[in-house]
Amino acid sequence: MEFHRVRALLTAAPLFLLSIPASAAIADGELAEVKKELAATKQTLATTLDTLAKVERRLDQLESGATAPAPAPSGPRIPPVNVDNPAISFVIDTALKTDTHGSGWDFALRSGELFISAPVDPFLRGYASLAGSSEEGFDIEEAALITTSLPWNLTVKGGRFFADVGRFPHWHGEQLPFVDRPPSIERLIPGESRAEGAEVTWLAPIEHYFRVTTGIYNSIGERDELPPEYGSTGDRAFDQLTWLVHPSTYFDLTDTLNVEVGGTFFTVAKHGARYLYGVDVTLRHQPGTSEFYQGFVLGSEWLWNNERFHNVDDTGEIIPGSQRFKHNGGYAYLETFFGRQYSVGARFDYAEEPIDPIDRLRTYSAFATWFPSEFQRLRFQFDQIDPVHGQNDQRFTLQWTAFLGSHSHGFATR
Amino acid sequence: MALRPVEIVSALLLALSAGPAEAALRVVASLPDVADMTRQIGGERVSVETIALGSQDPHKVPVKPSFVTKLNRADALVVQGLGLEHAFLPALLEVANNPKILPTGPAYIDASIHVQPLEVPTSQNRSQGELHPLGNPHFNLDPVQGKLMARAIAEGLTRVDPAGAASYQAGLERYTALLDRKIAEWEKLAAPLRGVKAVSYHQDLIYLAQRYGLELVGTLETKPGVPATPGHLEELVDTMQREQVKLVIREVAYELPLAQTVAERTGARVATISTLAGGLPGTQSYVESIEANLEALLQAVQGGSAS
Repeated sequence: MEFHRVRALLTAAPLFLLSIPASAAIADGELAEVKKELAATKQTLATTLDTLAKVERRLDQLESGATAPAPAPSGPRIPPVNVDNPAISFVIDTALKTDTHGSGWDFALRSGELFISAPVDPFLRGYASLAGSSEEGFDIEEAALITTSLPWNLTVKGGRFFADVGRFPHWHGEQLPFVDRPPSIERLIPGESRAEGAEVTWLAPIEHYFRVTTGIYNSIGERDELPPEYGSTGDRAFDQLTWLVHPSTYFDLTDTLNVEVGGTFFTVAKHGARYLYGVDVTLRHQPGTSEFYQGFVLGSEWLWNNERFHNVDDTGEIIPGSQRFKHNGGYAYLETFFGRQYSVGARFDYAEEPIDPIDRLRTYSAFATWFPSEFQRLRFQFDQIDPVHGQNDQRFTLQWTAFLGSHSHGFATR
Repeated sequence: MALRPVEIVSALLLALSAGPAEAALRVVASLPDVADMTRQIGGERVSVETIALGSQDPHKVPVKPSFVTKLNRADALVVQGLGLEHAFLPALLEVANNPKILPTGPAYIDASIHVQPLEVPTSQNRSQGELHPLGNPHFNLDPVQGKLMARAIAEGLTRVDPAGAASYQAGLERYTALLDRKIAEWEKLAAPLRGVKAVSYHQDLIYLAQRYGLELVGTLETKPGVPATPGHLEELVDTMQREQVKLVIREVAYELPLAQTVAERTGARVATISTLAGGLPGTQSYVESIEANLEALLQAVQGGSAS
């Protein structure tokens, strides 16, 4: 009996072992079949869902009044700017001015500015500003490249551009809320903050706005008449380059009231040739509606310049020795906006010449602006000019500015 | 009992990988209407911040640095589109250092993509005012277009966050059902508006007018975006008197006195509406905003001033 059991077991065992692969093969086959069926069902479902979405969309469109089927959306609708051509605009900034000092009447083209900008590739955009006026020939004010996709919130800018100094020094003339550049700015940083060099800007990756710009340039401001050590032109030693740092921050006090604070420091390192410190504060009330009262801007900026100049003889030739001058200047202004078309404002400015120990100037200004449309502006400004040593003067200026094309200098001149 | 370095590193890695349960998708919406729709569709999967206030004129939203930091940290940007945000968004995006939310980026969600635009200019120059080259962008004032906006937003959220596809689809279905129900109610409610002649302040009511049968006769602005001139107002008053126009629609972001003056000279009534959610009191959501606009129009048409 035991023997039969053992023989039966011995016979069954191989059969059992042989049957395992067969069962596995059947299971594998079924698994593959189910997987195939699942994939097919998924495909059918996806097609059905796609059809459903299309039908629903068409239904909605029919309900919304569309008369023809909308083409399948291929992406966001972007205004049809020809990608091969840059955006182009031109500003015409004219003025009529006279004063009580006997300078007569003067019609002038203050500036004709051609502005072009476009992306270069996915990593870079470029812009250029070419400007001419009655007093100066046509010149390249700015021609710069800006990166658009660097990591760590960094942006690099290079070429010729207005260095990121303070608030108004780097604004184009036609963007200012006044007919003139504040005299204090014009004296300490003449010709806007024009510079040839490179800047790196870092936006802190936090909820609070904090931005720092650092830069290195040949020089800052148009000082073509000065030797390379001080001026804009000519090559120079590495330690004669100008270095800049400009942190700025911003606080929303309420939904419509905010304050922006910035600090500027730039220097020419060689023998401490130049230090310039600046601080700017701007308080804005911006309801953002088109009601009659549209808010105000209260702004102030102060610059301290500490600079060493070589001594020169009567003919302008450099002679041994040098002298250090510490001069400062700044302005404060208030502009209030009414309706969609009007604003009035007042400005006080105190200006010192960086190289002259006695030339000091106080200017009291009142200005009114009318915007017939968003792209045309008429502005009248009265200036009471009081030199500390010299005769007082009253100046009257009527400015007429128009913007052809889509003109915007972007976030910087907000 | 001291832990070995391997155990410490493993524990740290585990702790880091666990992180918050699942961080919500950080969405910035340009305007309140698309912000509300994004919240309704995205639910807890999204946290939404808005740039403009409902009381603001979308053409004049201030460019504030605090918006830059919001955009810099955004996972997605939702816009109403058709160029409505042109006055503020390009300048902000220029410095936001976030390529994925640029118009060419994958996380730029344009709520206008399914809308068939009206008043698309056949030619354009500034002598015609500030026309939107892609068509009138105020389609949000028609709730049926609102359904198309919601669909575009749900599709955009799904593209940015595929793991939430089912959730966004469910959110869209819920929201579309709500809109369908309200649209049917509003259709009956707005019946008295059919055939009523009106002027508006800005050229922004074509979608609303087409939905509820209002007949738009003119605008207080001389041309889109160009303020009224005395000559234009005289012509408008003449037209209103000739055409028996008894309704002046003033969008809340625009000044009231001019609308009142024109209404007084023509014997019309003023209705104050908002082109954005939140512009009128008690209208934080898109649905509340549409309803409040209709009520204001009806109140002005049926008697009493809604200004």
